[in-house]
This record gives sequence, C-alpha cells and structure tokens, in this order.
Amino acid sequence: MSPFRDSEDLHQSLGGFFDTLTTSPEGQLIHRVGGSILFIFHHPEGRILWSPLPPPGSWPAFRVLRGAETASVEPLLTFEQDGETAHRFWLGEIDLAQALARQQLRATGPLSRAMKLLPHLDPVYPRYAAWVAARPGPA
Amino acid sequence: MRVLASVLRDYEDLGLEELELDDPGPGEVLVRILAAGVCHSDYHVVSGDLPLPTPMVLGHEGAGVVEAVGGGVSRVRPGDAVVLNWLPSCGHCRYCLDGRPELCRQPAVAAQHGTLPGGRTPFRRPSTGEPVYQFSLTGAFAERTVVPEAGVVPLPPGVPAHEAALLGCSVLTGTGAVWRTARVQPAESVAVLGTGGVGLNILQAARLVSAWPRIAVDANPRRLETAQGLGATHTVLAGQGGELDRILELTDGTGVDAAFEAIGRPETMALAFNATRPGGRAVLVGVAPPHVDLRVNAFAFPSQAKTLTGCWYGQSWPARDIPALARLHAAGVLTLESLASRRYRLDQLEEALQAMLKGTVTRALILPSG
Ligand SMILES: [Zn+2]
Ligand SMILES: [Zn+2]
Repeated sequence: MSPFRDSEDLHQSLGGFFDTLTTSPEGQLIHRVGGSILFIFHHPEGRILWSPLPPPGSWPAFRVLRGAETASVEPLLTFEQDGETAHRFWLGEIDLAQALARQQLRATGPLSRAMKLLPHLDPVYPRYAAWVAARPGPA
Repeated sequence: MRVLASVLRDYEDLGLEELELDDPGPGEVLVRILAAGVCHSDYHVVSGDLPLPTPMVLGHEGAGVVEAVGGGVSRVRPGDAVVLNWLPSCGHCRYCLDGRPELCRQPAVAAQHGTLPGGRTPFRRPSTGEPVYQFSLTGAFAERTVVPEAGVVPLPPGVPAHEAALLGCSVLTGTGAVWRTARVQPAESVAVLGTGGVGLNILQAARLVSAWPRIAVDANPRRLETAQGLGATHTVLAGQGGELDRILELTDGTGVDAAFEAIGRPETMALAFNATRPGGRAVLVGVAPPHVDLRVNAFAFPSQAKTLTGCWYGQSWPARDIPALARLHAAGVLTLESLASRRYRLDQLEEALQAMLKGTVTRALILPSG
C-alpha cells in the first residue's frame, strides 16, 4: 500500500523533505550531476523535479518543482517509480541494482552521474525517517 | 607496501599512481600480478555504464604469483602460480549450495561497494589515506593486489601468466556460456553476436563440441577474420542491415539452435532472440548498463517456446573450471596464445582500452611488472 494518500500528499510530504535537502550539505551534490533530475511517481501519480541553482556552494542548492510546474524544465535524468518504492528508497531500504533489475525503478539519462552520489546519501536516510515520523497521517 | 597502479580517478579519468597496499589480513592473499587482460567490463566502469565508486583500481582478468598469505589461508602458499577469480563465492548460501556460485550475493555486494567482503579496500592514497576501491574484489591493473583466499585459483604448471590471465574472465565466460548455460550439442547451430574476447571464446567452445554452423556476426571485418581463425564457419558483417536474414539463410530459414549476445546492447540482444529457432536458446552474455531494458516480442514466448536467458561468469565454478581449461590448453585443445595479441605497460591502459574498442587487438594484456 502506498504511504502517500494522494498526489497532493506525495508532493507535500516527499516534496517537503526534498525542500529540506536544498539547504543541507548533501544538497550540493546535485552540482555533480550536471543537470536537473525528474522523479515520476505512480500510485499515487506525481512529479517532482530538482533543478540546480548555480553557482555550486551557494544556498539553496536547487529548486524543488512539483506537478505541472515540472514541465518548464528539461530533465537530464529521470527516475520513475511507485510511491512506495520512493518512500522505501529514501528510508535507505532499496538496493538500487535490484530495483532496476526488477523494473521497480526505471532510469533514463546518464545514470552513472547519479550513482556516484549514492555513497553520500547515507546520512540522508535517517533524516527522511524522522521527517516521516514527524508528519501527521499515514506513512 | 607501495605499489604502482592504474587508477580510475573519476569516470573517463585514468592515471598511474603510487598507492599504499595493506598486508593480507586473515583469509586474504597478496598476489604479484604478472599479466592482466583488458576486458569490456573494465571499459564499462571507465565510461560509467557500470556505475561503481571511484577512485578505483580496475582489472579483473589477472594471473600472477602468491607472495604472502594472511592467517588461516590453507589453499595456496607463497610462490604458487594463480589466476584471479573475480567472483569469490561464500560457499554456503542457497546459490552456492545449489551449484550456482556465480549468483552468490556476498561477492556481488562487495563488488558494488568496490571492497573486499569485509567492507575494507586494501589500497589507499599514501598522502591522504583516502581509500582507493578495487574492481570486483580484484584490482589487477596494479603491481600487486590483495584478494580473498577464494579469489585465487592455483594453476597446474606450464601455463605462462600472459595466457593464464585470460582463463580468469573471457575464456571462462565464453566456454561456460556454451557448455553450461546453452549446453550446445554436436551438430547444433550457433550464432555469436560480437566477437570480442568473450565472443571468440564462445566460438572456440562451440567448435570444441562440434557445433555447426558457427556463425560470427560483428561490425568489424578484422574481428571477423580473427573469428574465422578461432572457429567461425560463416561470418556476417553487421551494421548494414539484414543480419537476421543472413542468419536465417544459413539455417534453412529456421534460426539457430543457440544464439549468444556478447556485446551488451539491447538491439543485438533482441537480434539474438529473433535469430533463435523455435524451442532454441538465446543466451545474453554481454553486460548492458543497469538501467537498460530490452524489447522482445511477447507472443514469441508461448508460441515459439524459446528460452531467453543469460550467464554471468560462464556459470562456472572457477576452482574447478580454471584448472580444467588450463589442462585443455596444455593438451593443445584450447587456444590461448592467439587470443592475447598485444602487451602494454601499466601506464598504457588508456591506449589498450582504445585498441580494444577499435577492435585492433583481440585481447590487450597489461603487464604490470614491465
Ligand atoms: Zn571480464
Ligand atoms: Zn554464496
């Protein structure tokens, strides 16, 4: 079952967490990707886009766009997944290689640029767990 | 100790560095590398198609001599000639017990992290102490490396390192795909798409079991020439369309009993499936980037009962199969000498990779000790 009630809930909950990343040290990692990252969600449907804000080192590191407003930016990388997979990914519970192999996650674009960042995400997962726990409603 | 190594600093950025190499810990072995083949998988890491952490010492198809062993090591001693096994399985998980050690999770997870099974890498940058990862529990593009005990396979005498190295990846993979995964029988027809290091060994293995015809498909005429020397009975120059029609013409319109894809591209993978006869086997050996999907016709599965499968490391048991291949070579049955066509120094890895990509060498060998 999806941890998100509906698109609105996904955009607010996960999108809100992404907002906190824009001013976290890990947020700067986006400059190593070299472009925007679009996340496409199903169950519930949703779209969130990270658009880097140059120059590197300045804050916030990127903008978080939601829903229809994501159409204004051409993404470099796209990750498509169910809401539940996304939720579990940010909890640190997803083996990316396995998820790709089972098509739980579909990636388009230069995947290696995103994979480079993975080892740096370890401190982010517990913060997402805390973020979820602090929010009212299901999850 | 200090060792010279070819280090992938970041994707597309290779350079020679002096690294600090730890002594072998318990259950580990220090190997002096005498020869290491340059494999397409090494290039996949350089290009980022096989996304792994950097900095990293590449090279996984290696042979050398044991120089020291850590506590508890019993299978090898200093002075033993060995081939590296880049998939040292745990020996006790469900897959290992099932006789499928190539599916063991332990080395797969370690390889994803670029470390030994314990999570540690033996290489460090001397100035900063920064860890330098090792490719697939090996790291053969270095003068020396430290690997798990299960990561070395002792060799019978008489196989020089520059030939033995190839047993550690391309020969094991190619022969295993034919003999174990596809179980090709005498007089069965085969097609091999891509005649690089692995593809040539698929052809050679098909020849050894008297498969016929043995159709080699490649876009590089030079490689097709080499393929004829190693066992191809027919060649198809790819890249101008009509590859499928040529294969069908050579098999009375039915397709081959077994088709092998040794490139790693979804288009050629689909071609392998489409060129397979009803009831036949298509074996994907080439490694595509992890996010690439494949398109094949769905109706063909129930209506033509084809098998579409893959094989990792030749579905082999390296400790059993590497010595067996060495014996076949010593008996004059298996060709190794004509496979390794050019030798390079450690600082020439870039050049060796380019030669492999252009197809001007059958297999480039790095000789880390000069
Ligand atoms: Zn290889
Ligand atoms: Zn195992």
